[in-house]
Order: sequence, then structure tokens, then C-alpha cells
Amino acid sequence: MLRRATLSEYKPKVVCFSCKFSWGYLTDEAKLSNEIENWIPIICTGKIDATHIINAFEEGADGVLILGCPEGDCHYQDGNYEAKKRVYLLRTLLESMGIEKERIRIELSTDPEGKRIPQLVKEMSKGLRKLGPLRKAETADKMPKEVIKAKGGK
Amino acid sequence: MAKPKVAICWLGGCGGCDEAVVDINEVILGVASAVDFVLWPVALDFKYHSVEGMKNGEIALSVINGNVRNSEQEEVAKLLREKSQLVLGFGSCACFGGTPGLANLTTKEDIFNWVYRDAPTVVNPDGNYPQISTRVAGKELTLPEFYKHVHALNDIIDVDYYLPGCPPPPHLVMYAVSAVLENKLPPKGSTLAPQRALCDSCKRNNSKPERLAIREIKRIHEVETTPDICFLAQGVICLGIATRDGCGESCLNINIPCRGCFGPVEGVADSGAKFVSALASILDVQSDEDIARVVDQIIDPVGYMYRFSLPASTLRKKQG
Ligand code: SF4
Ligand code: SF4
Ligand code: SF4
Repeated sequence: MLRRATLSEYKPKVVCFSCKFSWGYLTDEAKLSNEIENWIPIICTGKIDATHIINAFEEGADGVLILGCPEGDCHYQDGNYEAKKRVYLLRTLLESMGIEKERIRIELSTDPEGKRIPQLVKEMSKGLRKLGPLRKAETADKMPKEVIKAKGGK
Repeated sequence: MAKPKVAICWLGGCGGCDEAVVDINEVILGVASAVDFVLWPVALDFKYHSVEGMKNGEIALSVINGNVRNSEQEEVAKLLREKSQLVLGFGSCACFGGTPGLANLTTKEDIFNWVYRDAPTVVNPDGNYPQISTRVAGKELTLPEFYKHVHALNDIIDVDYYLPGCPPPPHLVMYAVSAVLENKLPPKGSTLAPQRALCDSCKRNNSKPERLAIREIKRIHEVETTPDICFLAQGVICLGIATRDGCGESCLNINIPCRGCFGPVEGVADSGAKFVSALASILDVQSDEDIARVVDQIIDPVGYMYRFSLPASTLRKKQG
């Protein structure tokens, strides 16, 4: 879990999955992963299950970025479309739970040298800063006064 | 030899689970002669203080249904845990929070405002809200504290076995009862129901085409579905692919799709997430517009995918 001292110190944690077939296959992976925290190169975005994304949130992610191959260009035929559908469905589900849909992003294009990966992570992180951490839904302070007073019973 | 002591108790639930126990009909008489009931508020007049007076572990089995939403339910759950060797979480409310768990989408404040102020039938000119302690004529009156969230039973106490269903069906209740009486229980933490998914035993499964391909999502009341054909093939959401088997296909048999009351299959923590992946892969759309059009046909996604399990869902837990 990420320790968060104050909101001003807050650095959003982005987990980035990227498909090796079109993102960063010409780069030095070890070097790039030093530069980007929580970067997970994978083979085919179609492999990403909704459970993986939800687990990332559970492990402390504030946002998940998925980088897949351009449309029509999936090495396994349609893994990127599968990912796109999952993301849309999951975003809809998250929204109906009161979680901002901006916390999941998918981009389908190509970048063999992986130059844009750190930049995309940074951009997403910037957007997440505005949203703040994925945190506990705070309801107590909205209670009618008399109910707050009535604490502790017994 | 003294008969084993059994408690059956109802926390935050609708009463259907208690009914389900009675639904095992004359078998219950056999159970009643094999065990000593020490608490069963819906049927027998025992008091909590008689349980309080018992030794720890004196009760062989507590069957607890319903979730935990207030301080009284928490106290009773903890009391029964302390006095029991085994606790069986009975029904979807106890196992995953159940349908009342959808209240976690609403704040306590909104619930109180609606129930004690805004609902059209409410007359409450003084704006009184429930208090956990009030003085009336020099006496103190108390009420349980209503918590901010609905909790599944295992958020509050250790649960030994789970029996899902809303409510659990008689054949599984009997299986659970005899497993306990004959001491043939599986390892602690097990769910006393099959491990596979409902689709595996659904008669409609054979009708599934090679590749399911949904281009429109329809709600069950909008179409006349053909019995024997998989609901998904007819564009109607059925949660059978991500739901544990064991209910006896009660809904499917009356031409109603599964809504997931048996919770996730073995080894899956979050049934909603599993269903999202399964559903996404059978949507036969590619363009952004088409994806949006079809997915947006799902009215109330969270109500659909977590109808019985919101308090146990990974993200909701994370949100608090
Ligand atoms: S599981 Fe269903 S039948 Fe049992 S108490 Fe909850 S709502 Fe009622
Ligand atoms: S999805 Fe529903 S109707 Fe289709 S096979 Fe599974 S349980 Fe049966
Ligand atoms: S078909 Fe689904 S919703 Fe209906 S009883 Fe079975 S598990 Fe529950």
C-alpha cells in the first residue's frame, strides 16, 4: 500500500500495462522500467482480465493505463478490441459505483521505441492528481447533526 | 449423550432464510430431535441472555443469516461466535451482503433523510431522527446504532462455512445439516455448494452457438425469450457464467435469467469483475460507437453485476 502523508505530497500511482507487440519493443526494457514505476509489459492486451484491473486498484493504484496495438493490427487478431470492450464496460461499472471513469484509460496505437510511455503515464498521473486518491467514500460528516451527536450509546 | 446445541439467528435479512430452514419440512423434525435448539428467534422463545450465560464453544453450530448493518447485529454475531464451535453463514446476505447490501451505494444520511423526512408517507414535523440513546420521563431509552455500511458476516466475525443462495435451497440446507450432524464437513472456509458455474448444469447450455455474439442487450421484460435457448444467445443478460452452481436452476426453470444469488464460483473473489470479462468477450461490436451503444443498454450496471454481493466486492471494500 502507498503511504500518503498529506494531500499536497500526493503522487498518484499509475499502473501501466503495455503490449510488447507495438509498445517499446525496440527499447531497453530494463532501462525504461527504471524510469516508469509500475510498468508491466505484457503479450496482448486481450489477456488483461477485468479482475487484473480491479486487483491493481486494490493494491493501491489510483489509475490504470492500458497501451495496446492499433485497431486492426492485433498480433492475435482481436485482443485489443477485447481490451477496449472490457475497459468500456468496466468504466461504466465503476462510474455506477461512484468511481471516476478517468481512472482507467486505454490507448491503441504504436510506439516501438516506447518514448511516449513515460509521457503518457505522466499525463495520466496529472489528471489523477485532480481526482485525488481512490479513497474511502466519506459519509460521516454529511450526517444530520443530531445523529452525529448520538454516538457511543451504551 | 447430550444432544449438540444449535442456534439459528437472523441479523440484517428479510426472513426468507429462516423460512428456508422451515422449508426442509418434516426433516426439520428429525433435526429437532437430534439437536437442542438454544436460540431461534423466529420460531422459539429463547432470550439472548440465556446464550450469554453459556460457556464458550458450548453451542455446536450457529446458523447465521442476514448481514450486519447495526450494533445489535454486530453484538449478536460476536456473541454467537464466542459461544459456538462452528458458524455457518447462511444465505447471500450473510455470505456477501445480499440485496440489502446495495444500500452501500447510498449514504446513511440519504437513507435517514428519506425514511424519516422525505418519503411521501412520512409525517415528522419535529424532524426526529433515531437516536441511540434518548431520555424520556427520566428514563434512558436506547436503540442500536445504524452503521454507515452493510457488512457481510465475515467482515465482522470469523465464519467457518458458507451456504449461499437467496435463500439457500432445501437440498443444500439438508446437505449442510447432515454434514454437520454426521461430522462430514469439508475443510474450514468451504462453501457448501458445488464449485463450478451454473452454466455447467444449465439445460440451455447445449443451445449455445459456437461463439456467442451479442449485438443488442435486451431486458427480460422487453422480449419474449424462448425457453431452452441460452439467455445470452438471446441478448438477455444471464449471470450463470460467473455464478456458482447449486440452486437447482430455480430462475432458469421459470424462464428468468440468473441474477447471481449464489455468488462467485470457487476461487473467485469478485463475481462482478469476472462477469465483466465474460460479457465483454461475447459482445460482437468493435467501433467505439457500437461498444458504447450496446454497453449503455445495461441499465444500472452495478445493480446487475453486484445485486447480491456489493459489500463483498473488491472495489467497494477499497472505498470503505
Ligand atoms: S439471503 Fe435472501 S432470503 Fe436470505 S435473508 Fe437475505 S434477502 Fe432474505
Ligand atoms: S448463460 Fe444462463 S442461460 Fe446461458 S447456459 Fe449459462 S446459465 Fe444457462
Ligand atoms: S438462477 Fe441464479 S439468481 Fe436464480 S436462484 Fe439460481 S443462482 Fe440464484
